[in-house]
Amino acid sequence: KLNVGVDTVQHGVEGLTYLLTESSKLMISEIDFQDSIHVLGFSDELNKLLLQLYMDNRKEIRSILGELTPKLPSYHSLEWRLDVQLASRSLRQQIKPAVTIKLHLNQNEDQTAQVLQTDPSTLLHLIQQLEQALGEMKTNHCRRIVRNMK
Amino acid sequence: ILDDPDLKDIDPTVLKHCHAAAATCILEAGKQKADVSAISTCLEDCKLDKEKIEQFCTEYQKNKDALEILLGSIGRSPRHITDVSWRLEYQIKSNQLHKTYQPSYLVTLNVENSDSGSHPDVRFTCTMEQLQDLVGKLKDAAKSLERATQL
Repeated sequence: KLNVGVDTVQHGVEGLTYLLTESSKLMISEIDFQDSIHVLGFSDELNKLLLQLYMDNRKEIRSILGELTPKLPSYHSLEWRLDVQLASRSLRQQIKPAVTIKLHLNQNEDQTAQVLQTDPSTLLHLIQQLEQALGEMKTNHCRRIVRNMK
Repeated sequence: ILDDPDLKDIDPTVLKHCHAAAATCILEAGKQKADVSAISTCLEDCKLDKEKIEQFCTEYQKNKDALEILLGSIGRSPRHITDVSWRLEYQIKSNQLHKTYQPSYLVTLNVENSDSGSHPDVRFTCTMEQLQDLVGKLKDAAKSLERATQL
């Protein structure tokens, strides 16, 4: 339908892909994009179209590129249950409270679920430690770094 | 026991029987959480004299708590979380994507496996919102624990 050779179409597509992914990766501004493609010597109309294409799609391209970075399993959700052990084969008449947790993690599009258990005092310790972790982002040190790294 | 100099005059088979009998008695008493009177009655039925029964019971009482802890720890359960470590990172770029500027947490749950004695830790990353979700849910669990103890 385009009346050009297969190779030309392929090169065209590859060129466009490269242009858009590199621009999105580097998050270049509109002006920088315009300056870059100006060198190619296309018509103004084509340049405007390319710029529009870039601006419309860069967010999505960036989120797809984000998936390619090396990753550890990430948190998905957590379910918990309160249990009390009353007896076992080796010991009768117990009262042993425990919290059973099902941790859902995502790893490369697979979801895994791990069943873990903890006792009340460790639970409180976990909560305290993780609350400290959350508080770190609000400290002056972290705020300063975030400000200065933009 | 077989190496104990005080016992070397006794036939080793008899010694083994005594040891096994004593161990069985102690473990059964521990398992049933028997009190001193129950043990005494049982030993009286076995025709042991008063002095020996008293000695046995005194020794038993001394070690009762340690015995219960030991018995309670036998058995299967899901892997047990013992501790947590976390790391806060601020990502600036990767080779696939520049200018990311995202804080993220790397959390490690130290886990103990009573069966194999191995320590297969659970590691995962999460954003601040996800960590808030996690902590929120743990706090719910803690609150319901508190309520349960007040019933």
